[in-house]
Amino acid sequence: MKYQRDSLQSRKDFIEQWKVRYHHLPWYRRYEFILPAFIAVLLFTILALPSYGKPEGAVDTLLIGIIFFAFFAVAILILMDREKPVLLKRISSITVIGLFFWFFYRYSGAQWDRFRYQFFNISMLEGVGELYLIGLWVTLRLSVVSALIAMVIGLVLGILRSLKNPVLEIFLMIYIDFFRAMPLIVNMVIVFYALPFLGINLNAFWSAALALILMNSAYQAEIFRAGIESIPRRQVQAARALGMRPMQVMRLVVLPQAVRVILPPLSNNLVSLVKDTAVAYVITLPELLTQARHAVIWKRNPTPMIVSTFIYLATLLPFIHFIRLQERRSKRWLRK
Amino acid sequence: MAQEVNSASPIEMIRIVDLEKYFAKLHVLKGITTTIHKGQVVSVIGPSGGGKSTFLRCMNRLEEPSSGSIFIENVDITDHRIDINKIRTDIGMVFQDYNLFPHLTAIQNVMLAPVHVRRVKPKEAEEHGMELLKRVGVTDKAKEYPFNLSGGQQQRVAIARSLAMRPKIMFFDEPTSALDPEMIREVLDVMQTLAESGMTMVVVSHELGFIREASNRVMILVDGKIIEEGTPDEVFNTPQNQRTKDFLSKIL
Ligand SMILES: Nc1ncnc2c1ncn2[C@@H]1O[C@H](COP(=O)(O)OP(=O)(O)O)[C@@H](O)[C@H]1O
Ligand SMILES: [Mg+2]
Repeated sequence: MKYQRDSLQSRKDFIEQWKVRYHHLPWYRRYEFILPAFIAVLLFTILALPSYGKPEGAVDTLLIGIIFFAFFAVAILILMDREKPVLLKRISSITVIGLFFWFFYRYSGAQWDRFRYQFFNISMLEGVGELYLIGLWVTLRLSVVSALIAMVIGLVLGILRSLKNPVLEIFLMIYIDFFRAMPLIVNMVIVFYALPFLGINLNAFWSAALALILMNSAYQAEIFRAGIESIPRRQVQAARALGMRPMQVMRLVVLPQAVRVILPPLSNNLVSLVKDTAVAYVITLPELLTQARHAVIWKRNPTPMIVSTFIYLATLLPFIHFIRLQERRSKRWLRK
Repeated sequence: MAQEVNSASPIEMIRIVDLEKYFAKLHVLKGITTTIHKGQVVSVIGPSGGGKSTFLRCMNRLEEPSSGSIFIENVDITDHRIDINKIRTDIGMVFQDYNLFPHLTAIQNVMLAPVHVRRVKPKEAEEHGMELLKRVGVTDKAKEYPFNLSGGQQQRVAIARSLAMRPKIMFFDEPTSALDPEMIREVLDVMQTLAESGMTMVVVSHELGFIREASNRVMILVDGKIIEEGTPDEVFNTPQNQRTKDFLSKIL
């Protein structure tokens, strides 16, 4: 008798089908075992769980360990089975992770009150909202401006490098190697404090932007070059044979295909760039981290620093997700 | 048989004078002189490494000739003052490994050059493109990406892509060599129809059936030189040159 979803009519049928469907599984993978096992572990937990606070003695510690690993074992049984539904797998892995943190919270003996007072103290955020707004605005502006200009320059340098002109190559290599090797913080300080002596006065924002552009365009030049060179010469020749000019070939044939290779390292670079804007605090630019430090000093409490972490996360996660979608889009023409 | 050329006043399409090509020290083409007339279908055969691909690629300057002249419709394309991109729009080229643009669908492949090089309106280009895809028999795959097409289908789309530029000359560089046997026929049929429509064609191929039926001239290119030339009957049945005989005995 074969399993057929459509023919589930009576309860008896259902039981018959169930038997047939899971017939081939070993006993420990069947729901008939997993469900009672789970209930048993749960009951055992409720009865035997040691009380709150650092466990007293070896027996309590052992119990905590056994309980955790019992849950862990049930989860593993579900996770290792290719035929279990994805939803069930998700639930079990999240449960185990949640359990881990809960046990840590419950038995680590940490001073949660003081921890919360120091690092998650909402009352310490009074009046700092404006600081953050300025900081966020400066960070975003700096990131977007630097990223856009760096990408344009990086693309041009990458295309120039892919030409393999020996004279050009010398200049490009000097630029690229120099700015990749130079620490950003040094670069920024030099641009801000030394350029004025040469008669070039840039404010803090543009100094930071220039330093970021110099470094990241050098990185991106290599990323773009690698992407361009990953496209076989035959593609270029087919396009040239149709009468396309070199820049048309680049724009219509090479770059659209290279995106697939370029996007992952480019997105890494852009995420780094956003985080690197924090270095601008050495030249007193009021970006997010500078502002958070002001708040920390003002309130004598590190909570604002934690908050800035979450702001970086909230800014970058959507961006990372967006890039991931684009990556998937850039691959849609690959074999179905 | 391809459309008969009016032998009284043949119109000259390609004239090649003393073409030589070196790759560094490697002497690949050793003085080629020939003339190809409008509507002629010329098959080029010869052993591998003899310079057949290089010969074709010199004629649209995908390779730079080392010396000699190539006249396309009486314009010397080795002259660096001419715009080679303009010349190339009149010369279609079909490669052994198709070289479709993998990020574009079949119809987009066909439309790309007309829209961006010839500046045809996208709508017109699409209409013409669909017409061509119909002619090569892959209308149903118009919206598929090349990775989802068979080799034969890809090569036929590649032919349509070249034809979309409304070229006056078509070059084929071993268009069926990368194909599975059962797909060779469908590509050769398309080429045969094209030959019958009066297109000037230079075909590097070892498909003897096609050469006999569709071409009106055969060139034997060995070691960078054309060692023998004539109608398929002449070359295949009464070869004059000993090296031609040797080569033919291997492929016949
Ligand atoms: N781009 C190149 N650089 C150096 N040598 C080449 C290049 N293209 C072809 N050759 C050489 O030129 C000779 C002729 O090649 P080709 O024209 O491809 O011959 P065929 O198409 O008749 O097989 C071969 O020896 C090949 O190795
Ligand atoms: Mg070849």
